[in-house]
Amino acid sequence: MTRVLVTHADEPIGRGVVKCLARDPRVEAIFAVGRGPTPRAFDALLARGGPDTQYARADLARHRSAIDLFHSQRFRDAAIDSVVQLPPHAADGSREGPSWEGLTEITAETRLVVQLALEARSVKNLVALGSAYVYRLQPGNANRLTEDSELDFDPRLPPELRAWVDADMIVHGEVRGERLRVVLLRAPTVVGSRGDLFLSPLLHPDRPLARATGFDPLCPVISHRDLARAIDAALFAGCSGIFNVAGRELLPLSALVRWAGRSAWSVPHPLLGALGRGARLLGAGWRRLPFDGPALRYGFSLDTRRAERELGFRPADRIGVTPPGDGQPRLETTSAG
Amino acid sequence: MSDPPHIAPGAASASGRRPASPSAEPETGPALGRDPFAEEPGSEALVSRLDALERRRPRRRPKPRAPAADAPQPDLPQGRARGPSHPRTPALAEVELPEESDFWDRLLPERARRALSATSHLVEGEAATDRFGFSPETARKALPWFHALYRGWFRTRSRGHEHLPERGGAVLASNHAGLLPFDAAMTVVDVLMHTDPPRLARAVVDRWAGELPFVNIFYARVGQVVGTHENFAELLEDEQLVLVFPEGAAGVTKPLRERYRLQDFHVGFVEHALRGRVPIVPMAVVGSDDQAPMLFDLKPLARALGMPAVPITPTFPWLGPLGLLPLPVRYRIVYGEPLDFHERFGPEGAEDARLVHYLAAEVRRAVGALIESERG
Repeated sequence: MTRVLVTHADEPIGRGVVKCLARDPRVEAIFAVGRGPTPRAFDALLARGGPDTQYARADLARHRSAIDLFHSQRFRDAAIDSVVQLPPHAADGSREGPSWEGLTEITAETRLVVQLALEARSVKNLVALGSAYVYRLQPGNANRLTEDSELDFDPRLPPELRAWVDADMIVHGEVRGERLRVVLLRAPTVVGSRGDLFLSPLLHPDRPLARATGFDPLCPVISHRDLARAIDAALFAGCSGIFNVAGRELLPLSALVRWAGRSAWSVPHPLLGALGRGARLLGAGWRRLPFDGPALRYGFSLDTRRAERELGFRPADRIGVTPPGDGQPRLETTSAG
Repeated sequence: MSDPPHIAPGAASASGRRPASPSAEPETGPALGRDPFAEEPGSEALVSRLDALERRRPRRRPKPRAPAADAPQPDLPQGRARGPSHPRTPALAEVELPEESDFWDRLLPERARRALSATSHLVEGEAATDRFGFSPETARKALPWFHALYRGWFRTRSRGHEHLPERGGAVLASNHAGLLPFDAAMTVVDVLMHTDPPRLARAVVDRWAGELPFVNIFYARVGQVVGTHENFAELLEDEQLVLVFPEGAAGVTKPLRERYRLQDFHVGFVEHALRGRVPIVPMAVVGSDDQAPMLFDLKPLARALGMPAVPITPTFPWLGPLGLLPLPVRYRIVYGEPLDFHERFGPEGAEDARLVHYLAAEVRRAVGALIESERG
């Protein structure tokens, strides 16, 4: 039986992971932490019984807060043996600031959680969720990326992607370690139950959205339920390593934007880069600027055979567009049955 | 079917040129696992190594080729079983066309409509595109234009379709000319129109095309694929027909005085054919060298703009973009006998740089012979 700590459990992906783990008979207790108050979704979970579930507020990007959690008596008593490290992903307009400091949250939090998990004696497993946008993309629409594909270390990479790459490297450094069994999952854009999109640098809900004129890259996607299943599979697979996880669909960016009910400016790519540089010089925060990275022009797909082979994970959901009955097509995830 | 080419002791390349160093050849990079620390072959005699490679490979009986497209089709099983993600291509007779046809459908003859409809199996489920970006819907709207060019503008004639494999992966290796790749487009249309079950040739395009706004989308949606090692290998793994132009950009940007002279061949396609255990079908397009005679290439300007060439032709840039339109020359397309190098040398042959260069020269010679035979 496993006792699991889930970070960012109050955000949509975290809630899905907690629900998925709560249904798994191999899970004895879930220790969920998040920055916000207890999600209402957990009320039903607690009322229904199943594994012992607790929720606590903690901002793991802050050193003091993370230390307090991992060194607390409650944490020790819970005898947590597995940690699921999720990145912050929900829209959070309150964190807007004039600087780029907010971007280091992902890196800082990953470093703290990995370090504290290594120090905690009871913890044996760490499953971290990373982004598939860390790979270096080449011109064209058919970059087929395996786990061994090159990461993007281009110094001109947008800071938000660089933060993902740094976090990825932190976890990657522990994959071969003996102290912990570490699994790093690289996921593409996550489609929520109501068509919300998460973990996509291109489609961040807080930011203006732009497309490079004349480009329509193919984007892999995964449903939030499939992602939760992948994390569950990684917890119990017994192996360590890096795994790409993705759904079956590849959607052109234009379709993804349209189906998500958003609109995008079409801007020539050189102009987009110049605008971004100018805005940064003027002190604009990153959330005021549209994403400007290779993924805006070059598509990719993920080779998920390793996850299929070693984790036993296969996507079960289909991602499509609802019939336009209300005149507004929307993304949705449905069980493939 | 002829025997595989005999390699004489000490044979040089058919082009008479010394094979280029692998390090100078962008198509032979280490992307698929060549050990950069491995010793370069050279001290060992080529012939003895070829013999050793051949001894390791059991000789297989040649597979029967498909009959000509317009010959009556025997009741044969439709190819070997493929994975669930690659359903087999239906034969033309099996394709059911919708009763209602729209404007685009009416522009095409029924055979072309059936052929195009058969290629929609490449897209899995309800997805709009396959993973390389091919969209049957975009192809349906593009084909009438290209079919009109094929029939009316270039008045294309072709022969040798019996050499196109009915099923399984294969590499079509062709000459390349004419500034804009109409030769590729006409070959794709020709293959689609003369194969049953219909086959969509996936042309491998230069990486530069992947960076061009709009062009990159159009190429991807009509089935073209940017030429990376991974894409090439996966197309063959998917048992697709891969169309390559081993001359690369040097072919389309060659000056008028070099028309119908083959440029040096890149060799990556031979490596992939060996690794993928697929035949190479040499082919020639005659006519494309005359469609846009290039008088000069402003190379310094091309380098500054990051383009393969800035051509000066009798019509470009004087007539603006219209000057890039090809002259209405007649196209003649001819397909040669498949070269089954994979049966002689197997996938391990791909690791031998000198062998790969030698085989690329063999393909070059075969393409050159087809051009000469067609020009008379």
